[in-house]
Amino acid sequence: MSQWMTLFQKEILEMWRNFKWIWVPITFILLGVSEPLTSYYLPQIIKSFGGLPEGSIIDIPPPTAGAVLASGLSQYSTLGVLIIVLGTMGVIAGERKSGVAAMILVKPVSYLSYISSKWAGSLLLVWFSLFIGYLSTWYYTGQLFDWIPIGEFFQSFVLFGLWLTVVLTVTIFFSAALLTPGMAGFISLAIALVLSIISGALSHLLEWSPSQLAGYASALLTVGELPDDTLPASLVAILLIVILLWLSVFLFKKKELAS
Amino acid sequence: MELLEGISWGLIAPIFFIQLILVIVSLVDLSRIEKTNGPKLLWVFIIVIVNIIGPILYFVIGRRNN
Repeated sequence: MSQWMTLFQKEILEMWRNFKWIWVPITFILLGVSEPLTSYYLPQIIKSFGGLPEGSIIDIPPPTAGAVLASGLSQYSTLGVLIIVLGTMGVIAGERKSGVAAMILVKPVSYLSYISSKWAGSLLLVWFSLFIGYLSTWYYTGQLFDWIPIGEFFQSFVLFGLWLTVVLTVTIFFSAALLTPGMAGFISLAIALVLSIISGALSHLLEWSPSQLAGYASALLTVGELPDDTLPASLVAILLIVILLWLSVFLFKKKELAS
Repeated sequence: MELLEGISWGLIAPIFFIQLILVIVSLVDLSRIEKTNGPKLLWVFIIVIVNIIGPILYFVIGRRNN
């Protein structure tokens, strides 16, 4: 256990060194907060840009607070996912390429603790960034529109975080299974995209798909109650995370021993 | 100037502030790092000129991880 903690701390330190602890949260804040701000100031923005004829009235019905917060979440499910995948695709593949992984694994370090410490480090970063970013989006929405109950905020936060965790784990899996970081990132992005599109199109058939979690989180914010399929979707997500982690340890071990 | 009156600066100012932090952090990192993907000077311009996206692009693409 203490060995795992050492690896984990090394991971955290590494993320300090390349400023991940600063730029990922800031990016999440800027991504999220831009939603309530632009929808609040939209009439003024149109007024200052458009050469509208004199006397024209712009009447945009103000969106509800829930819809604004949900659109903040949708920012995270596109650009946020992109940042997470691009930021973590190199964690294992990059170390293997540069030979650091071999240096660590020469010591009596189990493959499981090597991979799981990397996974846990990235996990912490993702949840921290999502929390900071989403909290500030919530605050801005409250200031400019209406306050969303803090309970709904936390519920949607956890659901959405679970989906991001699935994306993260898929990225780690491909990072461990493939040699090149670029390839790992590309495949993970493709999978996240295809999963969202398929389960969006066939939403009545795939209610349990983990990529529905993002949709369920925003449904909670706009409609006010959780869809019935949230529990199975969360369970499938957790199961998928465990299986992928186990598989990535297995594949990584096989590849390392072969090389 | 009346356009600017309706804007609450208490909410906008923090955004500018963290944006500034992002620019500074990426410039500090750029000065410390040995090599980047592409010429270093180019990244200085991208970070300073391209709002918000510039520093993020630098961290995601410009940084060479080794």
